[in-house]
Amino acid sequence: MSDIALTARPKNRGVTARIVAGAWSSTEMKIAVCIFLALALMTLLAPLVIDASATKITVADRFLPPVFMEGGRFPYLLGTDQLGRDLLLRSLIGLRNALAIGVVSVLLIFVIGCAIGIYSGYRGGWVDVVLMRITDVQMSIPVIILAITILGMSRPTAVTVILVLVLAGWPTYARVARSVTLAERQKEYVRAAKILGASDLRIMALHIAPSILPSIAFVAVLDIARMMIFEAIFGFIGIGIQPPTPTFGTIISAGTQYLLNAWWITIVPGCLLALALTSLNLMGGVLERSRNLVLQGKL
Amino acid sequence: MAFAIEFFLRRLSQGLLIVLLVAFVIFTLLRVAPGDPIRIILGPMATATAMEETAQKLGLRDPIPVQFGRFVLDVAQGDFGRSFIRGKQGGASGGSQDGAMDMADRAPVMGLIATALPYTLLLAGLGLVFSFLIAVPIGLAAGLNAGRWQQKLGLYVSSLFVSLPNIWVGVVLIYLLSAKSGLLPAIGYRNFAYAIIPAIVVAVEMSPVLIRAIAVSIASNVQEAYFDIGQVRGIGRNRMIYRHVLRNAAVPLLNVFGAQMIGMLLGGLFVVEYIFSFPGIGLLTINAVFQRDFPIIQAVAILASAVLVLINILVDFASTTIDRRLKF
Amino acid sequence: MMKTTRRKFLAGSTAVGIAGAIGTSALFNKAFAQASNTLIFAAAGTVTGSWDPSSHTVAPQITAEGFVFGRLTRCPMTPDNPGEILPDLAVSWSQLDEHTLEYKLREGVTFHDGKPFTARDVKATYEYASDPSRPASAWYPGRVDVEVVDDHTVRLNTAKYGYPALNFWYVVSFLPILSADDVANPETLKQRPNGTGAYQYVSTNGDQINFQAFENYHGGKPAIDNLVWAYVPDANTRVLGLLNGQYHLTERLEPEQYVSLSNEAGIKTDRSLSSENKYLHFRCNKPPFDDVRVRLAVCHAIDRSQVLEVVGEAGQASNCHISPVKFGFTDVAGYPEYDPAKAQALLAEAGYPNGQGLPEIEYITSVGFYPKTREYGELIAAMLQEQGFPIKLTTLEPAAWEEQLYRRADGQGPGHIIDVGWITGSPEPDLVLRPNYYSQFALVNGISDAEIDASLDKERGATTTEERLTILQTETLPLIAAKAPSISLFSSVFLRAMTDKLDGVFFFPNGPIDLTQARFV
Repeated sequence: MSDIALTARPKNRGVTARIVAGAWSSTEMKIAVCIFLALALMTLLAPLVIDASATKITVADRFLPPVFMEGGRFPYLLGTDQLGRDLLLRSLIGLRNALAIGVVSVLLIFVIGCAIGIYSGYRGGWVDVVLMRITDVQMSIPVIILAITILGMSRPTAVTVILVLVLAGWPTYARVARSVTLAERQKEYVRAAKILGASDLRIMALHIAPSILPSIAFVAVLDIARMMIFEAIFGFIGIGIQPPTPTFGTIISAGTQYLLNAWWITIVPGCLLALALTSLNLMGGVLERSRNLVLQGKL
Repeated sequence: MAFAIEFFLRRLSQGLLIVLLVAFVIFTLLRVAPGDPIRIILGPMATATAMEETAQKLGLRDPIPVQFGRFVLDVAQGDFGRSFIRGKQGGASGGSQDGAMDMADRAPVMGLIATALPYTLLLAGLGLVFSFLIAVPIGLAAGLNAGRWQQKLGLYVSSLFVSLPNIWVGVVLIYLLSAKSGLLPAIGYRNFAYAIIPAIVVAVEMSPVLIRAIAVSIASNVQEAYFDIGQVRGIGRNRMIYRHVLRNAAVPLLNVFGAQMIGMLLGGLFVVEYIFSFPGIGLLTINAVFQRDFPIIQAVAILASAVLVLINILVDFASTTIDRRLKF
Repeated sequence: MMKTTRRKFLAGSTAVGIAGAIGTSALFNKAFAQASNTLIFAAAGTVTGSWDPSSHTVAPQITAEGFVFGRLTRCPMTPDNPGEILPDLAVSWSQLDEHTLEYKLREGVTFHDGKPFTARDVKATYEYASDPSRPASAWYPGRVDVEVVDDHTVRLNTAKYGYPALNFWYVVSFLPILSADDVANPETLKQRPNGTGAYQYVSTNGDQINFQAFENYHGGKPAIDNLVWAYVPDANTRVLGLLNGQYHLTERLEPEQYVSLSNEAGIKTDRSLSSENKYLHFRCNKPPFDDVRVRLAVCHAIDRSQVLEVVGEAGQASNCHISPVKFGFTDVAGYPEYDPAKAQALLAEAGYPNGQGLPEIEYITSVGFYPKTREYGELIAAMLQEQGFPIKLTTLEPAAWEEQLYRRADGQGPGHIIDVGWITGSPEPDLVLRPNYYSQFALVNGISDAEIDASLDKERGATTTEERLTILQTETLPLIAAKAPSISLFSSVFLRAMTDKLDGVFFFPNGPIDLTQARFV
């Protein structure tokens, strides 16, 4: 019974594959992926290799500069912070936390946003109107205002940070998913599946959902980076994950107080974060370009 | 004309509803969140009875819908209430602990916002100018030269800038331009020079979106048939770009501006003002959150969403006037 | 505990933006135009909406009132001689019996509004401000009756309220004297301050409060004619303004700012021990800190010398629950020292060997108000983790932290350990001890211990200062240290800076500034 549907829809699978293949053929993509994987690997391996602890305080070793500077010494490759903790290790653990928060929140946004969008577009009628008005409302509150209201008023944890990010992020996905659904709903294969007695849930999950992927996948990669930036901002304002767990925001905000006597506390971890984000954004950007080319039939 | 009136009436009434809902969401969030403003208003020494009295007097013990109704009625008359914390001087004070609080001694929220708004507008304006200065040349070059190095440059610059967290850029610029070299002042606001570094940070945050939007919309116009046809007809390439491509590319650009940039700008300003202790709305609001100064947070959230909604209406209207093919 | 909100940001980067600021500000020029006779004070905090001193417990306003109001006596609270009392509006004082103190008042003193100062002003002020319904009545040991013997003699009588009058001995130096006519008319009291101090209030102009020297000040008109209180909430802006001549005097420096300003030409710094100690309070009425052994285990697990190293110039070591400028301070015998072995022994004895079985312990601290709380919070958390305590550190903004600080109606406070400082403007130790360790109050830790209560009652009931000193130093303070409802980490040092042209300024350990002898040179 689903043979008809499948024969009418193989294009979509091909599209996603062609986009990825097109992106991978560019040098930028390869470089970005390599940098990203290297960083990801480091966050996992560093604690095993480096002989120091991210939370171990050695008051006597405060404000040591990176090893390549005068006064720096091993094992503190990138120097130490105001409490004598190893900055490289702290940055890597901060990166691991930021990545985890970015990936988890985007996954949730992706699933929740798409589910709501597909449902809204597929059902239509008043359900659609109500859900879309909710996205209007949600999108009319700047993320930062929402975040400082929720996180500033409660006690921030990794879970609440993710919650805020999901709350702020889902409407965009819901909108895109809805508009794709509206277009797909009219298509032959959906109607065929319906006539053949497929349930609504089955149609939404198996037929419409996969066709959304090409329009959203690259946005998701970009959004991981965006959410990581938000995580850093929250930490900086003091409404992110609380110390002693290292996060970029708290490392940078604590370091601003020592900018003149120990600039590396803020500058060095920021470079690492920027590198990770650049690799993600480059991937997203190349994927987007590749997608546009594929959709225009040039690839 | 009738079109325009109908358009605005319809969109404004929708917008009003959205803003009302936003107001209700924020209003409720603030009141269900842990943290009792009365403790902060009255200070640590206040007695339980004094706290209860003040809470009653401020209406903080009524059901939330009742409080919200009262609030909306006041707002309709242009009254956003008075700050819980800030005295007439505008500065945060420890609060009168003198029994029930005398609200007449408190600064009106509208006054506080009016004082802070010019700073925020200055920063926003300067930030936008800087971001256009960065984005227009790069974006144009990238859009007009698809497939060549200019396009790659656009991709690289926008990927890099979007990867720089504003908090970090802010601190790095303070270090390089101010602390290290003394070229520009950085913290607080005393004269125009104090707005330059914060505006650069805003521009770095905003320009990637602009570069990408300009590049994409210019590129798609250049690829369209009319561009080649026009040149075949003898209209010069530059003239085509200037007269037609830019105009047609303006519509998607305006949409990006409305949908993304204003929201980003608002968020960016909050953070940047906080980094630089820049005395605008953002700093006012962040401090208000930490002080549980509900009236300020509510007012700012409502005004911010109203601005977002309004700009989107204007953008949609402008798109339709620029491009007659779009229907109202 | 008094506080004002203050953001610390970029403390230490004193060079930020000097180039852009020099010569560009109108205020800057004005400061020079008014030349040597106006002092501009960049204050970290501002005043409330009411000028009634009994209406608040806000530290910056107490500093502002310091210029305007007189008190019966004054206590410089120096570490060498914390009990020293000097005359102000009273010229001599004595104890008549357990419940009566007598003060002979200065003659020929007038208020800023021209009315003469007499005994009835003292009576009106004390009876009004000690009324428990007044928000700042907490500063009074209790209600008090004032007997007007003649125009220039008053007697404080506490017989009706059941505590010795000696409790006023030091506190009077902290209680501003109002005009009886103002007390009778609370509206005027709120609108403008009217005292007998060296400076009189002129006007409030935005974030500036203007004062001028009082012609008829009993100590002679001060040399500096005008005083401007400029509220500058950002620590860096204050320092920059001081460097470019916009301000003459500023307060509440970060340790890093203090160090860099100390080397700056044209600037002199002032560093003085305050009446504030920094504490970690244990929530004593819930597990695991209802067990004194667990509290002591924490005390022995903390290496306070490392904490002090992190705090730097802003702290001074002390082994006592009150500051060295308080009456009764002593290096308490048996004050818990860093001793991991002992911490382990205590934990094992309490049934938590190596910390096993302990619930997660939440340590709440503020960031942005006191210097270095986040830094040493992380340090202490790490030290406790080393001994096996499962510690979770929560850092909060001052407002949120203050909300968590005090015990709630149900008697319990959030978390298990909370960081706080306690500052009061009098050598009187009970302003610290009773609110914190007496069962009836125990505002933060919730300790309920009959022995501590008895000891506090015993020292309050002492009939001579010598007797009280002995009880405090040999019984009460060692007892508190042994029961450890809180641990005092160190004593705070206040850091200030001023132009080197300013001479003769005296700083009280709780913030107020004495400008009566100050002049520009």
